[in-house]
Amino acid sequence: MGLGRYITARVAWAAAVAFIIVSLTFLLLALSPNPQVQQAATQAALQGDNPQEAREQARQLRGLDKPIHVRYIDYVVGIFTLNWGWSTMRSQPVTEAILSSLYYTAQYSIPWTILTVTIGPIVGLYSSANKYSWRDHAATGFAFFGFSIPNFFFGIILLLVFGIWLEWVPVIYNTNVAVFSLENARQLILPVFVLVTGSIGGIMRVSRNESSEYMNADFVKTARAKGVSPLRAYALHILRPTMVPLSTTMVGQLLLLFAGSSLLVEVVFSIPGLGRVLFESVIAQDTSLVLGTTLVFVFVGVIGNLLQDITYTVLDPRIGYEDR
Amino acid sequence: MPTEDRAWMESSDEAPRYIRRRQWLKALGVAGIAGFAGCQGDGDGGTETAADTPTDTPTESGTDTGTDTQDFGETATESTPVNQLPEPSGTYDTVTSAAYTTLNPLYNTEAGAGDAIGFALDGGYTFDDQQEYFPLLYDMSTDNGQVWVFEVREGLEFSDPYGEVTAESFTYQIQELHQTDWAGTADSASWGSGVNVEQTGTYEFQAELPSTNILYPESFDPLLYPVPKDLVQPYVEEQDAEGLRQDEELLELQFTGNLGAFVLDEWNRGSGTTYTRNDDYYIQNIDEGPDLFEGAPYFEGASTSVVQEQSSRLGALETGEADVASIPPTRFQEFDEKESVNVLQIPQPYNEIISVNMRDNGWNAGPGNLFRHIPFRQAMAAAINKQNLIDGVFQGLAAPHYTWQPRWSRFYPEGADLSTFGSGDQYGSDYARGLAEDAFEMSEHDYAFDGDTMVNPDGDQVALTLYHSAGQETERLESEFAAQELNNNLGMNVQVEAIDGTRFDNEYWSNNPVEPGTTATVNGEEYTWNAPSPNNGGPRSATSNQAWDMSMVFGLNTFPRNPLTNQFFFDGPNSFYNPVGYYPEFNAPELFQQAREATSVEEVERAFAEIFVNVAREQPYIMLAFPDGLTGYNPDLVGPIENFSNGWNFPAWRFEEG
Amino acid sequence: MATQRPDRFDQVDWDEVTESSGFSLTVNAKGLLATTIPLVGLAVYDWQVLDKRTPTFDALGWDFDVPGLDYLFAFTILLFVFYVALPLYQNPRMTRYYWKEFKRNRPAVVSLGWIAFVFVVGLIGPLFVAAPEQSVLHSYQPPMYLSVDTANAGTCLGETANGRCFGTWQYPLGTTRAGKGVFAGIVHGMTISMKIGFIATFIAVLFGTTFGTVSAYAGGWVDEILMRYVDIQASFPTLVFYLLIIYTFGGGLWLLILLLGIFSWEGMARYVRSKALSVTEEEYIKAVKVSGASSFRVVRRHMVPNTASSIITDTTLLIPGFLLAEAQLSFLGLGDPTVASWGQLIAAGRDALAFAPWIVLAPGLMLFLTILAFNFVGDALLDALNPEAAAEAER
Repeated sequence: MGLGRYITARVAWAAAVAFIIVSLTFLLLALSPNPQVQQAATQAALQGDNPQEAREQARQLRGLDKPIHVRYIDYVVGIFTLNWGWSTMRSQPVTEAILSSLYYTAQYSIPWTILTVTIGPIVGLYSSANKYSWRDHAATGFAFFGFSIPNFFFGIILLLVFGIWLEWVPVIYNTNVAVFSLENARQLILPVFVLVTGSIGGIMRVSRNESSEYMNADFVKTARAKGVSPLRAYALHILRPTMVPLSTTMVGQLLLLFAGSSLLVEVVFSIPGLGRVLFESVIAQDTSLVLGTTLVFVFVGVIGNLLQDITYTVLDPRIGYEDR
Repeated sequence: MPTEDRAWMESSDEAPRYIRRRQWLKALGVAGIAGFAGCQGDGDGGTETAADTPTDTPTESGTDTGTDTQDFGETATESTPVNQLPEPSGTYDTVTSAAYTTLNPLYNTEAGAGDAIGFALDGGYTFDDQQEYFPLLYDMSTDNGQVWVFEVREGLEFSDPYGEVTAESFTYQIQELHQTDWAGTADSASWGSGVNVEQTGTYEFQAELPSTNILYPESFDPLLYPVPKDLVQPYVEEQDAEGLRQDEELLELQFTGNLGAFVLDEWNRGSGTTYTRNDDYYIQNIDEGPDLFEGAPYFEGASTSVVQEQSSRLGALETGEADVASIPPTRFQEFDEKESVNVLQIPQPYNEIISVNMRDNGWNAGPGNLFRHIPFRQAMAAAINKQNLIDGVFQGLAAPHYTWQPRWSRFYPEGADLSTFGSGDQYGSDYARGLAEDAFEMSEHDYAFDGDTMVNPDGDQVALTLYHSAGQETERLESEFAAQELNNNLGMNVQVEAIDGTRFDNEYWSNNPVEPGTTATVNGEEYTWNAPSPNNGGPRSATSNQAWDMSMVFGLNTFPRNPLTNQFFFDGPNSFYNPVGYYPEFNAPELFQQAREATSVEEVERAFAEIFVNVAREQPYIMLAFPDGLTGYNPDLVGPIENFSNGWNFPAWRFEEG
Repeated sequence: MATQRPDRFDQVDWDEVTESSGFSLTVNAKGLLATTIPLVGLAVYDWQVLDKRTPTFDALGWDFDVPGLDYLFAFTILLFVFYVALPLYQNPRMTRYYWKEFKRNRPAVVSLGWIAFVFVVGLIGPLFVAAPEQSVLHSYQPPMYLSVDTANAGTCLGETANGRCFGTWQYPLGTTRAGKGVFAGIVHGMTISMKIGFIATFIAVLFGTTFGTVSAYAGGWVDEILMRYVDIQASFPTLVFYLLIIYTFGGGLWLLILLLGIFSWEGMARYVRSKALSVTEEEYIKAVKVSGASSFRVVRRHMVPNTASSIITDTTLLIPGFLLAEAQLSFLGLGDPTVASWGQLIAAGRDALAFAPWIVLAPGLMLFLTILAFNFVGDALLDALNPEAAAEAER
């Protein structure tokens, strides 16, 4: 099997996984009671109308009167035609809801990812080059602190101190400021900081441990002996092999945080991003929106895993793609 | 969270503090439905969204005859005639806990969104600080209480190209949307087919009710938002409810012309709304109201921000990022002492109650159902100390709840011999036990006290479950307090359990209705159920899917402005809302009949005085407290008053100069 | 270094007995059985004989009820005792060696002490410290030596001076809005954390090892199907499923633990599989197979024990994830509010953060320290149990 075929097979499988997961979500949603229908019935009862009728009407309005397989087929067709439905919770098309919330999620996710991916390996490498120095211990301590402190807890504390007591950063997230402005930087600094502390620790540890394996490897010694500058030795000879196992950790860590902590960080800092939309839509049982956002998260997850696998294969020639 | 909170819709937890139209659901205090908000919530029963923006109008009121002693709060002090109108300055920034579902005035059912709509679009009328009808878009009058004439103000304009607001803007809306089956608008129930609407002039139309109702405006049924006929006509012709619901112009309030104090600039679904001042606001030219209306509004803009964390909302209020936010009782005193915040405390008609299941699947502590015996419900009410509950859970910021009406209502039976269970000598272990023993006598089963514990015929302690909504911290505190009191004073073992509001509603609260026309005997009376529904499924044998004993999940509105609505709760088989299976043992149907047919407010009062004395005695729900609404304002803001109608004169609100 | 390395306990011990007969049991299994049977008996008695509300030990006149979850908790502790602690005792030489390796990492030793402390206090603490009880009039009492504005506190129990209320020993760490002692909440929170840690881990290990070893052993299409399933699960946006399921079915502790366990083993399965794959290549497994051992026997007697070290390391790193997940869900309002977990305490205190920060800080700190401790220990175990990696790193 060649690389091309391997990737094709991998992509096809990724799509299948995404599809299965979304179907499961659909099933779960179909099984849970819809609060809006209930609400309509209660309301009708209080006003002297027939609640049964109101219930039927509410179900019909939301397309819930159709049998489940019809709804499922409609939904699947919708996914491919990009007709993802109407969000009753936000009164806008689901695609629009996702795009607009993704806009806010991206504003903190991109700086966070870039910072993590650049600082993490560098500090790790530095630690490993200066093993058991006080700097190494400080970096290790910070790494453990970072991935042990619960993100939301850390966020609340920082917001309390810097937002409410010191008033250095605004308490309310303002959506009306320009993306590249000082105000935006000020209101995003805490969420980005919290997320970076959370994700960088693992990467620092892995890159430190992995690179220490190569620090004294024969090929590095050879390179040094040949007069390769230390910087070049680090970048080419140590970082590259380190990146192989590191890429796994990185993708895994970032994905985990993206799907989990980003929601909590958005809640704590009132950022109207994707995580919050997902959570709110689950609570409001806004079926189309839940499915839409889930699809996005699954997509990101699946693509992340896919990229990880492919990078792995490409970066490390020792791994054959025949096995998997 | 649920919840609440969840809950995240926060919400709902927040029992709304200002009654608004279309607030039925909120009126139920439905804790978990919108969510857990609580969950996210805020669980402290704070007063969040509802109170945050004053632009919408309060509902239900006792009207006109100003002869009564009713205290809806302080009144606006009319400042000395203004020589010079203040200049508009600043923006009026509010925070709320929950994002809006829709801003389409035809479909909105949420209080928070009602506020957001209210900035850009006035409703038909409101009630002023004297609780008098105050016409905004139209005036209402009647000779006999059955035919009501609506006079639409002249000079009201929609945005181009929709032209002037006329009587037709309203009649078309009523007849083609509210009174049809396809549209399913939020107001459809207010305009049932029994209401006969007719246009009688360019600026005049009338509504003929099926029966007299002298408190018609107070019911808020006739409150309308104007919508251009040309805008909705295409949807009417197609009967396209989905299109109407999703119409961009309606959702983004692009048709509001001179009909609101502000113009909506942007509705960011996740984070709130922003507005700019409407220079042509019609209210500048009206004769009624304070002179200050002439230059209204006095803010250059307005905004609402969705902030879920309660501590962040309060932080924003404190730092001046927000001009108004509701305050939870635990922070009341602290904020009251702050220079940077002006806190108002406004009594509310939403109650905190324990519902006890009198249906066949209630009382799972042994044979029989003691909840059905009045003395037993009295014993429970007498076992829970209302003042301690109020002090402990609401930091004293609530009023005790003895009967189905707050004390400040004109319909409260002042001076009558009212039972006050849970206060004074009607509180205490011995007193409650005495009542419980009366109930044991009435029961055919052998319940008794064994030392300090209440035991069932098998000799085991009576053990019951009390549900509250998950994520609602206040509710949980109340539930646990009640459980402790019932344990200490009546020797009952009460387990407190959290449950999601929607699930509770579906599985526990909603009955499985019987066939219409079923008859059965309750308390020796023969009753017929003509329209059984999940909220009143029929005789006590019509039960929910799951058995339950007691619940604090839902609180209810007591309708102090229009108490007639309370027949929904206490009219036995005919009640629209009787999930617990309560059948009055006083002559409720006749008294409600009297009240309905009354031709003067005094007559209504007489009938209700008797009803409320009986309700206090029978404790259909174990009544506990009326928490106050607490709202913090920017101290520079001139206008907010501690009145049930706070916000009625919002156009005159302004920032003090300097 | 590799040459002087003594035999690993998990490679030695397990085979001794099996050589003679397939039916004889190890000491460990006997011990486990001997203790589990009465436990099951008690559970059955509690479930079938007693009615729902009668305390379990009512017959002995002891008013102590065992909640359903505790049976499983007790069982997982027994498992831990007989399959982790006892083997260490049975192989003193190995134990000494591991300890020597482990000891070199000083933070890890401290961390182990902390975990042991949380474990012991969580196990016996509730016998001495009564469960936090609501007393609404005592809301927001400050911790000892600290004070709070009287505007915020309920009826102040301690002294008041200058409009500030001071703490008392009745509530050494202050109280929540409900007037529940934070100290008692933390002690009982340890129990809950231990339950979550043990039971969810048990579930995860059960699934992870089963999938991993079976997959490695069976190979072929079985391997393919199982591993593809693991792929799917690994791509689950787990939080979404937690939200959906918990929102729909209510956030009981049971369900939460079950979900945590069920949605967390895919990493372990992959790990175990690859480890087991390399073991399958070993000559002695081939020999065993040739000599006619059943598949189950090969998996159970040879493959599982040989992956034990990876499982233990992985577990140590799973537990902090569980604790964190519980806290996060509680924070979102999806946990079980009647359970006195640290997460619930944080959730209960977040609105009062500005004036009563101890309610959030105390449990938040506990959570942080415990997660930190598990991470340190996991890190050290990784070094101690994988000497090759450690040796390589030191070369």
